[in-house]
Amino acid sequence: MYRANQTFGRRAKIQRHVCPASRCRVLQFLTLIIAWVLFMATDLPAQQPKPGEYQVKAAYLYNFGRFVKWPAGVAAGKGDSFAVCVLGQDPFGMILDSTLAGEALDGKPVVIRRIARSQDAADCRILFVSSTEEHHLKEILAAIDQAGVLTVSDIPGFSRRGGIIQFIAEGDRVRFEINLASAESARLVLSSELLKVAAAVRRSPQSGD
Amino acid sequence: MLKAQAHSISRKLTWMNMLVSSAALLLACAAFIAYDMVTFRETKVLNLSTQAQIIGSNTVSALLFGDPQSAENTLSALKAAPNILSAGIYTPDGRLFASYLRDPAGQIPALPSMPSGQTEIHWLKNKEIVLVRSIVFQGKPTGTVYIRSDVEELHRRLKRYAGIAAMVLSACLMAALLISSVFRKALADPIVRLAEVARVVSRDKNYSVRATPTRSPGELAILIDAFNEMLAQIQQSERALRMAHDELEQRVRERTAELEAAKKEVEEFSHSILLAKEEVERGSKFKDQFLSTMSHELRTPLNAVLGFSDLLADERYGPLNERQQRYVSHIHTGGKHLLSLISDILDLSKIEAGRMELAIESLRVETVFGEVLSAMQPLADKKSQEMTKSVEAGLSVRADSTRFKQVLMNLLGNAIKFTPSGGRIGVAARLVEDRVRVDVRDNGPGIPPEEQKRIFEAFYRLRESGKKTEGTGLGLAITHRLVELHGGELSLDSEIGQGSCFHFCLPVAAGRREPPSAKIELCQRSAVPARILVIEDDRAAAQLIQSQLTSAGYEAILCDRPQDALEMATEFRPSAITLDIVMKPKNGWEILTQLKRDPRTAQIPIIVVSIVDHPSMGALLGADEYLVKPVDRATLLAAIERRVNSRPASASARPILIVEDDTPAREFIAEMLTARGYAVTAVADGAQARAQVASSLPDLVILDLVLPEVSGFELLGEWRASPRTADLPVFILTSMDLTKEEQSYLRAHAESLFRKQEPWQEELLKQLERAVLLATPEKV
Repeated sequence: MYRANQTFGRRAKIQRHVCPASRCRVLQFLTLIIAWVLFMATDLPAQQPKPGEYQVKAAYLYNFGRFVKWPAGVAAGKGDSFAVCVLGQDPFGMILDSTLAGEALDGKPVVIRRIARSQDAADCRILFVSSTEEHHLKEILAAIDQAGVLTVSDIPGFSRRGGIIQFIAEGDRVRFEINLASAESARLVLSSELLKVAAAVRRSPQSGD
Repeated sequence: MLKAQAHSISRKLTWMNMLVSSAALLLACAAFIAYDMVTFRETKVLNLSTQAQIIGSNTVSALLFGDPQSAENTLSALKAAPNILSAGIYTPDGRLFASYLRDPAGQIPALPSMPSGQTEIHWLKNKEIVLVRSIVFQGKPTGTVYIRSDVEELHRRLKRYAGIAAMVLSACLMAALLISSVFRKALADPIVRLAEVARVVSRDKNYSVRATPTRSPGELAILIDAFNEMLAQIQQSERALRMAHDELEQRVRERTAELEAAKKEVEEFSHSILLAKEEVERGSKFKDQFLSTMSHELRTPLNAVLGFSDLLADERYGPLNERQQRYVSHIHTGGKHLLSLISDILDLSKIEAGRMELAIESLRVETVFGEVLSAMQPLADKKSQEMTKSVEAGLSVRADSTRFKQVLMNLLGNAIKFTPSGGRIGVAARLVEDRVRVDVRDNGPGIPPEEQKRIFEAFYRLRESGKKTEGTGLGLAITHRLVELHGGELSLDSEIGQGSCFHFCLPVAAGRREPPSAKIELCQRSAVPARILVIEDDRAAAQLIQSQLTSAGYEAILCDRPQDALEMATEFRPSAITLDIVMKPKNGWEILTQLKRDPRTAQIPIIVVSIVDHPSMGALLGADEYLVKPVDRATLLAAIERRVNSRPASASARPILIVEDDTPAREFIAEMLTARGYAVTAVADGAQARAQVASSLPDLVILDLVLPEVSGFELLGEWRASPRTADLPVFILTSMDLTKEEQSYLRAHAESLFRKQEPWQEELLKQLERAVLLATPEKV
């Protein structure tokens, strides 16, 4: 993009020698438009294929970490790293690693841990519960209750069942629901910004369904 | 013009005020607006930036979680800001994430590239401000906010400002006008008034006006004060000038009046002088006239006395006894003395009056001496005195001929008179330096020294002489004065017993001048057969005369009726007339008188042929010839021929015309000439003389100058002007005192000049004889 713009900018400079200033400005502007169009036309096909669902979810996991505040005592008990854990069968594969590699959250480097047991999830900051663990959901949530772990899952009804953030699919888009009561019970403070973009926010501790 | 200028001052002031205030205001407005615009824009940009930040932070989550709806919700809050045209959120990779358009038809422009290292750029374009700000969340670029705002408000502001500025400006101008009107009152009006006053002053020259002083102090007040002071000074000096001028005028008027008065006085004076001069001139003229009349009136009778006494002494008309002769001699001597006395007195008075005029010319001393000595010789001879002359050869003097001779004669006469018989008298002339010294010396008794001083006084006579002497006592006085008039001085050297020497000096003449020779020429006339009128009542006598004339070739016309004689003479104008005396009813004397009196016939020669033997009567009446019957043919023809053909050639009877108004003088001259055998025609006035000469040319004319009606000068002039008479010899014989001009005129036109106041008879006869001798050489 930058390269192309430079190229066209040079052309515009050339043209500037032969036209009056006002006209040149218009021409420059047109040239920019054309540059944009060309950029779109040339760069879009060259872009990576539309990010996969788990690629987006991986990015979301990271972003959740940026909008959530862990109480200082909780954070201190979680060690020197910011652990993002995947419980159950990992749907991300290498995507999660590549997305979070080198990142830091809450002032600590992000580490990815894949765990099999819910007991191991106590010192995780963010815990993605794979859909394979749907049947153990109750035990899992209970195990980490009040442990200051942000629970995320794409299991349907996750937020309703006590999970904090639940991915939902809205057409092509990946959206999420937030169970604010669960977050509060986990002593986590969710940014209003996060709430604003959430598809739905549950405030009651447990819904009737 | 001055009004316009005056107006232009206040107008200029107003303009100045308005321009200054407008300029100041406009500049202030511009600065303010510019500042406001800049501030406004900065504020605007700041606002936009703030909005972009808010939008950015509010859309971070939407961006991070791909929720454009949320972003658009945030953007839609921009509706509250009506100036925001559009806004957009872009993802970090440049895709439009959410947008806001106030005008749904609008569009979001493409996101410009953001220079690296900058989080915000903005630009102003097409009345829009565009601001682009990148959204950074927790140190990571999350997206970009694009916000576009119109600057409509800016323009509104500008418009509002312009309106306000216009209002303020107009208010300012009004205020400027007001202020300038105040200024005008304070500044322009005094100047205008000053200019007006200056105009009035320069136009009307009215220096009494004053410029109104201004109340406000300053340069203007000083100017006005100075102007007024200047005016005052001008007025003062003008008043002084006018006063001086008036005074001057007054003085000029006075002076003019004085001058006029003086002029009048001078005029009166000059008039009186003129009158006095006229008076003097009249007096002097009267004196001249008196002198002239005296000289003429006194001399004329004396001439008669002298002339006839002379004739009587000649015993021509009968012998005189011894006593008669003595008496006649006494008459003659007394007359001569009287004549010389008169002449001397007149001369002296003329000299005294300064009216003696000299005709100075070059004279040969030798000649003058000769003439004078020959004139004086008889006197010297009477006393057996020896008279000698001694003259340096070729010596000439510049003197008046007559007066020089007079001087010499007087001196010589005195010498002869006072020198005893047998004495010696000498006259000498020699050159002393550049003057001619003339000495008249005698060896008489001498003059005593005490008398030498008085000897030149008038009427002084030598006492010593004792015996009775002739002389007037005026001679030496006149001589003395005459010498003085010639520029010399008469002096006397004398010693008792040693004789006397009178001497004087006269200027020497450079060259010699021959005396004018008497130009008397023979007048030749051809013998023309002439017509003779014979006046004779006796038939026989008439026939005789006729036949005698006819035989000689004359045409003889008879007039046997004496009463028709004048008529016939006039009609036939004969060359001569023979006239009988004894006739009836008119005798010949009457006819003769008649013919001679009538100018038409006066000139016709009349030959009296009569039994009456009275030639003097005939001559007196003007007869040209007098023949006593019986007349033989030869005598008659000779007489006729004399009168008609060759009168000048006739030696036996010379026809001479005497023109003299004084009858005794005329008669005397005629007698004197007739006695010497000259034929004489005598006329009494100028008219007769003119007629006589016109009819028959005389051989010679003896002409008096003082004549009734036509003067001798006129006659001479006429004759000389006519070729016929140009050579007619004319002797002037006059008692008139002549001026220098008259003398020179006569000398040029007449042959000789004789003065009656001098002895003239001898000289006249001598000259006459010479003239006739010259004229008739063949007849001698």
